[in-house]
Amino acid sequence: MDTTLLQQMLLGALLGISVYLPLRCGQLSLATPGFYAIGGTVAALLSTRIPALGGDGVSYPISSVLLEMALAAMVTGILALGIGKVVLRLRGIYLAISTIALVEILRVVSLNLSFTGGAIGIFGIPQPFASPEGYVGFTSLLLAVVCWLCDRLERTRPGLAMAAIREDELAAASQGINTANTKLLAFVLSALVAGVTGVIAAHFLNSWNARMGNFDASITTLAFVVFGGTRTWLGPVIGGLVLTALPELLRPVGDLRLIVYGLVILMGPVLFPQGVITPERLSRWSRMLRQRLRLEAPTP
Amino acid sequence: MSTPLLAAHNLNRQFGGLMAVNDVSLRVHQGEILGLLGPNGAGKTTLFNLISGVTPVSTGRIEWRGVPITGMASHAVAGLGIARTFQNLRLFPTLSCLDNVMVGLHRHARQKRLAALFQTRPFHQKQAKLHQEALALLELFGIADAAHRPANSLSYGDRRRLEMARALANRPELLLLDEPAAGMNPHEKDQLCELIRQIQAQFQLTVLIIEHHVPLMMQLCDRLVVLNFGKTIAEGPPEQIAKDPAVIEAYLGGAG
Repeated sequence: MDTTLLQQMLLGALLGISVYLPLRCGQLSLATPGFYAIGGTVAALLSTRIPALGGDGVSYPISSVLLEMALAAMVTGILALGIGKVVLRLRGIYLAISTIALVEILRVVSLNLSFTGGAIGIFGIPQPFASPEGYVGFTSLLLAVVCWLCDRLERTRPGLAMAAIREDELAAASQGINTANTKLLAFVLSALVAGVTGVIAAHFLNSWNARMGNFDASITTLAFVVFGGTRTWLGPVIGGLVLTALPELLRPVGDLRLIVYGLVILMGPVLFPQGVITPERLSRWSRMLRQRLRLEAPTP
Repeated sequence: MSTPLLAAHNLNRQFGGLMAVNDVSLRVHQGEILGLLGPNGAGKTTLFNLISGVTPVSTGRIEWRGVPITGMASHAVAGLGIARTFQNLRLFPTLSCLDNVMVGLHRHARQKRLAALFQTRPFHQKQAKLHQEALALLELFGIADAAHRPANSLSYGDRRRLEMARALANRPELLLLDEPAAGMNPHEKDQLCELIRQIQAQFQLTVLIIEHHVPLMMQLCDRLVVLNFGKTIAEGPPEQIAKDPAVIEAYLGGAG
């Protein structure tokens, strides 16, 4: 498998997690590409306009990338806090529509501002890594950290509160859960992950423009979660990896790949209504694996 | 007389042209079991919703230990020590029974963020303690065997019991029970009556209970309040309520 595709898969997994976090509280937010676009724009602007960060047109220090990530996290976090307070009053499909509107607004604004390069975008973003392998290593590390944090979240109080809100918001509130704050937390975390992912994507892609965060991207990233599952963080990770790789791996079958891709997205929810990865399925698999290992172990 | 634990003064709630709760005043004293009776549509559940902050009050005042709490959000009301169950069962259906009760412990499960992040020993110790408390509650209601099964796999009666266990996990002072015996057979109803007495004594609870099953209410409650068409029509000890002409008329219809 070529490393460029692997890198795209890792970015897909991160975006999957970003869509998953609000969905864990039952909130269908499609704002992820908007925050992803903001993250990328922050990185593109800083690395091409501010010489002090060490961009010489080609290479770029990794410390500056980390700085960009921190800044992108701050910008997306604050924006998500402000927007979330308002839009999270909406439920279900209305929340989805308003977040689609947010993504579109951000796209049109970025298209019409001069400093974001308008329709052309920003070119010649310097490279912190000389090869795709470097990107893969760095992104894998980031994905591992994000997965670890998600795992901790799910095993502790806020994670359980989120699941309770997904199951029954009114009942959750009557258990003393501040539902508004919990949903806001998930929305902000989702924005942070998307923003930080955008930073890496901008460097990796070498150019950034307003089309990076659009409605298509909202639907694609949502498909990651619908396919993978909304019960545990592993679902969107698998969904992001598989669904990003699939169109490329299917290239040999020509135009048929679009049909196959569509079929996979269609059959996923039909065969696995809760997504491919669920906690129950995971524990069943681990039981089966353990049994097999025991069988294969030599009997004394 | 001392300040009541919970007092409602002239509560009103309108839904369009309908007065669901009409000028109802209510005092719940510490340690008592107060029953709320009334025909269907009398406004009993609406009154519960007003008290627990689920539905906003149109006019009127609610006080907790003499402090006004009118208009408080329901998570804040829960924080005071008022727990409730729901007439139509509102469990977290795909979460395990244990997790349902763990959610009930939400306010008592706060842990230091760093400790939770790095799963330190104190974190695990507290988590284990909470699990034990949740399991003990499941045990109390006889559903410990189902701890790891999803809530929606339980029978109807067990779901009702699980909801009570979850409410008790809030460690409340006042427990609002909305038709806890609905859908139970006579034998189960008797058991439930015993159980409510038992938990009331064990957890030093004050209980406000809605129930249609009159014999159970007569047996269980210290005092009864009867509502009809959103208004209080009678209030007093069970023996007196049983003879009250207004109550008999509400249930059986007037003589002419």
